[in-house]
Amino acid sequence: MATKFNSFTDELFNKEFITDYQAESIKKYDALNFFSLHYELRFLLYLAVLLFTSGIGALIYKNIDSIGHVAVLCLLLLLIGIGFYFSFKKAKGFSKDEVLFDNPVFDYIVLLCTILTCVFIGYLQYQYQVFGYVLSSLLCSLVGFFCAYYFDNKSALSIGIAGLATFIGISISPKALFENEIFNNPSLIYYGIAMGGLMLLWTEYSERISLKKHFHLMFLTFALHLIGICTIAALLNIYWYIFIFLLALIVFYFYKISYQTGSFFLFVFSLFYGYIAFNIVLFKLINFINFWQFLTILTPFYLIGSIFGFIKLIKHFNKNKS
Amino acid sequence: MIVFDKKLLHNTFLFTEAKRLNDQGFISKEQLHEIKQQLPMLTSHENLLVRIGFFILGCLLFSSLIGVISLFIIGLAGSHFAVITFFYTLLGILASEFLARRQRQYGYGLDDAFILGFQGFFCATIGVAFESPLATFIAAAFIGLVACIRYVHTLSLLLSLIGITGSICYAILKLKIVASSFLPFILLLLAISFYCIFTKITKTYKFNYYTKSILLLQGFSLLLGYFSMNYLVVRELSESLLELTIAKGEDIPFAFLFYGFTFLVPVFYMFFSLYSKDKLMLYIGFLTFGFSIFTFRFYYSVLPIEAALLSGGALLFVVAYFAIRKLRDKETGITLKPAKGTKTDLLTNLEAFVIATQVDLKPMESQSKMPFGGGGFSGGGAGESF
Repeated sequence: MATKFNSFTDELFNKEFITDYQAESIKKYDALNFFSLHYELRFLLYLAVLLFTSGIGALIYKNIDSIGHVAVLCLLLLLIGIGFYFSFKKAKGFSKDEVLFDNPVFDYIVLLCTILTCVFIGYLQYQYQVFGYVLSSLLCSLVGFFCAYYFDNKSALSIGIAGLATFIGISISPKALFENEIFNNPSLIYYGIAMGGLMLLWTEYSERISLKKHFHLMFLTFALHLIGICTIAALLNIYWYIFIFLLALIVFYFYKISYQTGSFFLFVFSLFYGYIAFNIVLFKLINFINFWQFLTILTPFYLIGSIFGFIKLIKHFNKNKS
Repeated sequence: MIVFDKKLLHNTFLFTEAKRLNDQGFISKEQLHEIKQQLPMLTSHENLLVRIGFFILGCLLFSSLIGVISLFIIGLAGSHFAVITFFYTLLGILASEFLARRQRQYGYGLDDAFILGFQGFFCATIGVAFESPLATFIAAAFIGLVACIRYVHTLSLLLSLIGITGSICYAILKLKIVASSFLPFILLLLAISFYCIFTKITKTYKFNYYTKSILLLQGFSLLLGYFSMNYLVVRELSESLLELTIAKGEDIPFAFLFYGFTFLVPVFYMFFSLYSKDKLMLYIGFLTFGFSIFTFRFYYSVLPIEAALLSGGALLFVVAYFAIRKLRDKETGITLKPAKGTKTDLLTNLEAFVIATQVDLKPMESQSKMPFGGGGFSGGGAGESF
């Protein structure tokens, strides 16, 4: 991609689409010869944290019986202590708005410490049964939420949400999704919908008191997926007709929200869940009135129609988002 | 050579440039709007999902057209499949020309289906008529290049590059025009010549409609250059294609050379990209370095996995930490400041979502028979490749 002042820029300038001042500032910016490694280095740090924590996980997993438990716990505690000591020292304290560390390294030290704390809690639980099976994941989640709100760390927030989901019995991982964990356990559906609803309420509430507004997209995304997956699972269960209205409501809600926030991601996924649910209901209807013989003729038209519908909606979204 | 109305195409690119300036905050939204009002342009879709949607529609349209035509000509052509696919090719070309000239579509989605479609049918025609893979590869190389130039179509160039590389591989491996063991070196030469063409084009042309195609050429040449000399690729392919059997304690010929290249090429990419300020090369350098480590671990697992992960993670952290310290206060050149026009929260959001899927917080039940490790952190999708 051309990223410098090029012949196209020049022509825009000659045709007087760009003012003198603007052209000047573009040239000045180019003269800085900017080559930003901001995201690349952040990504390296992230990768380092992932590798390091995986390494710790693997180390403990393989040597659980050979290294002393106390030694492992002490080592973890030491690492966590050092990490949090520096993070607290450098942190600017809690604020309702977005606060960033001066040095992005600390974002990742916080993340590392959060994960290590979870490992520590899990280890303590595994070895000494301190907290009880359920409580330990709640504790992890609390640590995650605390780090997220105090240090302004989105990754810690996501660990907090994942921990909360684990607490009610759903694991947020693609693997668990493919294993149909939710579909096989109807009571999880209600828990999942309740948790999604709570997250939505929390988002609305923190919107009112303007608490960490940049966290909202995270909450909304997790809520959308949780509720979406749970309601679709519910549509395949016994009392499916109740959930049609719920899903329609949710899709409509997220449709509105995505226009407000301008988030294309939310928009596409709310359409996606809505479409799947619509098809499920449609098939139930076709099955009910026994309409199968026309299906082969109508399918191509339905397919083309739905693609057209998607295109129209996406175009509309791009034009009108705030 | 270009099918489009020159002026409209030019305006389209002017508008793309204006959009970039708007993204970087140099010009206002009103200015962008005014430019859009004043310049007549080709119709195209910026949004990838919309384009994919139209692409699927285009595929459906093309296949139904083919269905109708087949009804008429299948009786005439009988078993001469080359004739039938030739008709399809003609149909695809006609439709592409119509869409580009009359409908003024460029990167619209529908046109992509027909442009890629007729290339596929052309290759099939040649393949059926000559019954030779070499002819098919050459046809792909030729038609891809023509389509790329005529329709300013980036993906076609990929077909062409694959065609060129494929025909050389086929000529050496099957027709044996030179000894097969020279294939890696010839492919390296090919990659270097691709790269020379890339630098030549970027320097010569002023108004460039082909920036994306040229970027593709660069990426392809960098990847080809690396993989042609990668030890893992060379060894596994010579075992399967040349039926080379490597006894225990033996190695492929020139092994030290391939090992050297496996590690030197990524390092060279990374340093040279920092010098020449080239993002694509930097990314490719980084990815290929990861693959190099995978290559090494594939044959020699010197460290146990946890030690490798721990030391790798720690090393990476230290490297990134010192790089950040060094770059933190720099205002020009290589810097830590985000460039203008990049979306600031995209990466942090992505990182946060990924971590949720990687960290499994489910506590292990200690009474289970399997001695599962405590804390149950089973993360790190990146695994051992890096």
